[in-house]
Amino acid sequence: MLLENGKISSLQLSLLIIGFIFGASVIIAPGQQAGHDAWIAIALGLMEGLIIAGIFTVLTQHFKGKTLVEINSLVYGKILGNFISILFIWYLFHLGALVLNNYSRFLKLELYPATPKALTLILIMLVCALTVRRGIEVLARCSLILVTITILMAIFDTLLVAPHMDLQNLLPILDVPIGKLLWTSHATAIFPFGDAVAFLMVLAFVNKPEKGRSAVFKGVLIAGLVLIGVAVRNAAVLGQMNPIYTYPTYITAQVIDVGDVLTRVEVLVAINLITMGFFKISVAYYGAVLGLAQVFNLRSYRPIILPIGILMVILALTNVSNTAEMFDFANNGYPIYTIPFQIAIPLITLLVAKLRKLPQIGGEQA
Amino acid sequence: MIALVLIGFGMVALIQIPGLVRKQWWRELLCFAVLLFMGLILSVMISMGIEIPPVTTIINETITGMLGM
Repeated sequence: MLLENGKISSLQLSLLIIGFIFGASVIIAPGQQAGHDAWIAIALGLMEGLIIAGIFTVLTQHFKGKTLVEINSLVYGKILGNFISILFIWYLFHLGALVLNNYSRFLKLELYPATPKALTLILIMLVCALTVRRGIEVLARCSLILVTITILMAIFDTLLVAPHMDLQNLLPILDVPIGKLLWTSHATAIFPFGDAVAFLMVLAFVNKPEKGRSAVFKGVLIAGLVLIGVAVRNAAVLGQMNPIYTYPTYITAQVIDVGDVLTRVEVLVAINLITMGFFKISVAYYGAVLGLAQVFNLRSYRPIILPIGILMVILALTNVSNTAEMFDFANNGYPIYTIPFQIAIPLITLLVAKLRKLPQIGGEQA
Repeated sequence: MIALVLIGFGMVALIQIPGLVRKQWWRELLCFAVLLFMGLILSVMISMGIEIPPVTTIINETITGMLGM
């Protein structure tokens, strides 16, 4: 029995990937460690991110219409395959909890200081649970509207803040030590671009599988270009203060002041975070729930949506003690922690599949 | 607080269990019950003020410690 009957178009996939990549990066500026050279770090990271996307899309092109869990079972056999799948499901589950954590931390710090974190987490989780219950098609349809609005808002913010921009703030170019720049670009490739590996659980549902690969590339590329634009804007507006702020995009929007009438536009950035975070959490949540249902051979993934959501909220509430630790993990631990999931699992699976000459067309394993 | 947690979990169980029993989907019911029970234990621990180890911090410290970062 098929666990998911929905189909999404390649355009919807591209938009979903853009929304997913914007996810937490609307708020946590990628490449911030590189100071005013963040845009260079993002550009280099985008290239590495495209390589990561290349690896996992080749895998899905080999096994059209199959999720990573099904591919693992075919390539490694039932026991080892399920073990590797559970590792990947843990990554998706943890990713969802991390985004939830960023999300609630931002809301607590900037917008709702008196509201308990658990309440904001439960509310966003309920919305995501409802979406996941409706299937991938509903999520993909949401992306068409919400991602377009987000990109328009980013352009709107940039136009309004243009009078405060000083491009001299971007000079001198390549001011950071090369080692630090390369590390930051790798961190940027992993978060946010490499996280798109979560789509290994979604690419199976593209209505024209042969177009899935180019749709992923388009999505990653457009998201990367927008993030480079945002990094340039933030550095040009905030100058030397840019690396100091926890949420530079939010602070940049605070600068907007058109004739003392149009002010406090930063709430638009918060809306962007809420909508794009919703995509990232939902895709990770969907992947984790669908994957677990496939591992345990369930007839539907719907019964386990709410329990997994509850566990994700609990992990989001308890996974880091404070904001400084979260940023330390994002900058130092995360770029290494995710290498097995984002690069090793897809690459090794692809190599083993090639060696075993899988999938065998017309054979029982195809 | 604990009462709120129990009411919440009770509602989730009420939403899911009757449908699964009617369809006789025992495997799905078992999976649901195990995951929900894990969630219940952890939620009760949090509401009683028992500290749960921060998973991400442990992962971060292990990686940075191993690599001497």
